[in-house]
Amino acid sequence: MEGIATVIVAWNGGRVRLLSVPRLLITRLARGTVFGRPGDPAQQCRVLEMALSLLEKNAPLEPVYIKERL
Amino acid sequence: MEILENKEQWSADYQKSWVPNRQATGKSDWSIYQKPKNNKAPGRPGITLSQSRLMLISSAGGYLPASQQPFDAPSPYGDYTLRTFPSDISFEFLAYAHDHYPHEMIDQDAQVALPLGHLAELVNAGSIGSLTPSVASFMGYQPDAARVVDKLVPKIVALAKQEAAEAALLAPL
Repeated sequence: MEGIATVIVAWNGGRVRLLSVPRLLITRLARGTVFGRPGDPAQQCRVLEMALSLLEKNAPLEPVYIKERL
Repeated sequence: MEILENKEQWSADYQKSWVPNRQATGKSDWSIYQKPKNNKAPGRPGITLSQSRLMLISSAGGYLPASQQPFDAPSPYGDYTLRTFPSDISFEFLAYAHDHYPHEMIDQDAQVALPLGHLAELVNAGSIGSLTPSVASFMGYQPDAARVVDKLVPKIVALAKQEAAEAALLAPL
């Protein structure tokens, strides 16, 4: 995005993956949540911090999969 | 590098197949919808997050009901407009206009889609340099990918430049 480092967090990774984005974190969450279960800040922070860590890596990266789920 | 490779061809196909079928039947037939695809990912150097300004970009349909119009959530053709709200907003001031995801979780805890509290903690801890003053917000049901590229993305890029973003976290629902 015009010189701005980007990362996408997606539960529907298959569809986003088709777009060949620079950095993509794919979870096993579900429609209605990006970062984790409601009321579970620990999980939300794990997903968030994993996504942010990708911004420090040169892109393009292969999509990164994590096992966070509802 | 193009945001959407072969955008013109994709748009022509969309206008010739999905749109007229939708108009004729009143139903969205996703079996004839061509998912947008790119073959090559753009290269970008990584950044030092602790020295960078981050923008959150959300497709949850968040808006400020006291001062902004809601997105056109019922439209079968999508809404390609942009709203902004402060990165330090209290969630009680937000509403969500988006008919294509269940709202139970975001209504219970907005940080499932808008982790603004967690991001503020990371700024305070020095892990993130700063947040942009605004969150870029749109309604993520947008079947016309070419229109996303032509109408929405330039607005987001302009906002990101205006607010000196060096990195962006995209959170599609």
